Amino acid sequence: MEPTPTNPRIDQFRSDVAELDIKTPADSGERTYLIIGIVLMVVGGLLVFAGYWGASGTAIVAEQIPFMLSGGFLGVGVMLVGAAMFVRYSLSRYLRFWLIRTIYEERTQSDKVVESLASIEALLRDANRIGVDADRT
Amino acid sequence: MNAPARGEHPEPPLLALHGVRAAYGRIEVVHGIDLELPAGSVFALLGPNGAGKSTTLAVCCGLMVPTSGSVWLAGRKINGASPDQLARAGVCTIPEGRSVVPNLTVRENLQMMTYVGVSLRDVEEVAYARFPRLGERRTQLAGTMSGGEQQMLAMARGLATDPALLLLDELSMGLAPLIVEELYGIVAQIAAEGVSILVVEQFAHSVLEVADTAAIMLHGRITRVGPPHEIEDELSAAYLGA
Repeated sequence: MEPTPTNPRIDQFRSDVAELDIKTPADSGERTYLIIGIVLMVVGGLLVFAGYWGASGTAIVAEQIPFMLSGGFLGVGVMLVGAAMFVRYSLSRYLRFWLIRTIYEERTQSDKVVESLASIEALLRDANRIGVDADRT
Repeated sequence: MNAPARGEHPEPPLLALHGVRAAYGRIEVVHGIDLELPAGSVFALLGPNGAGKSTTLAVCCGLMVPTSGSVWLAGRKINGASPDQLARAGVCTIPEGRSVVPNLTVRENLQMMTYVGVSLRDVEEVAYARFPRLGERRTQLAGTMSGGEQQMLAMARGLATDPALLLLDELSMGLAPLIVEELYGIVAQIAAEGVSILVVEQFAHSVLEVADTAAIMLHGRITRVGPPHEIEDELSAAYLGA
């Protein structure tokens, strides 16, 4: 078969493809965000611990306040942000896998049901035929 | 990056894959393949089950984004183009397993393609002219037709969009050899009209009769590209791992 580069449809196709507005696929960065979430949780925990460590070193409340603010509140905040990121990105991954798994299981189950019905049908047909043969004899 | 083969041909190939790798999650199934389909030609990609053929097709039609490498369409890199953008431009995919809606009639199945802006009358005219048998069964439920007729309907539906590039996945799956022969006869007609066709097949004989170039794909790699008659000789050895 000879190539037909002058085919008007092909020319149209070339110009349509040239005009396509293609966006570079956005890297979902799911894994990166998941790791950032874990790191933030750990950093938040360390900040809380550092705050506690600093505050416990003095009995004067005025000196404890900076530790409470930078260690306690900031640490808890960072932990919460990290936890939110972790839940958001691990959950979407999990739900995606779960959905695919469910679809797969469902297909397998319906295949099995169809198979069983076919074998039941075959058995009934055979039984019916044997019954008819027995009646004749 | 420049368009592939620009220096050698006045026109770039209609479809080209360069070093394409594709993966499902962390599992890579296509390990860097190169392929070129000139305009108006038929390319048969052959290989056993699990070789990565359908994944390659999914990359070509935009359903999968390659993890590395580039996909070129008519000289333009199209990594990341959505399947609907490509379909509108003229890339038509006919997936394996006769993708017809079984509880709709032939006519209703064809009606689905009017979304591209073609009237049902035109869609029917084209479909029944190419597949007269569908015309006889226009009011029949698609699910009650034979496998071959369903495949014809799937093809008719795809062709209603006036594609420039046709991607066919396992056309012969589950069909009698005579029907397969008939379907590939139609594929040859479509190719003669100037449509470029990439066919993915597991069982090869009929497709090699209509193909201009064939390639063997094994374990995610293209191991051999050449004229169909040469590939046919090597095919059984490749399948059996000799």
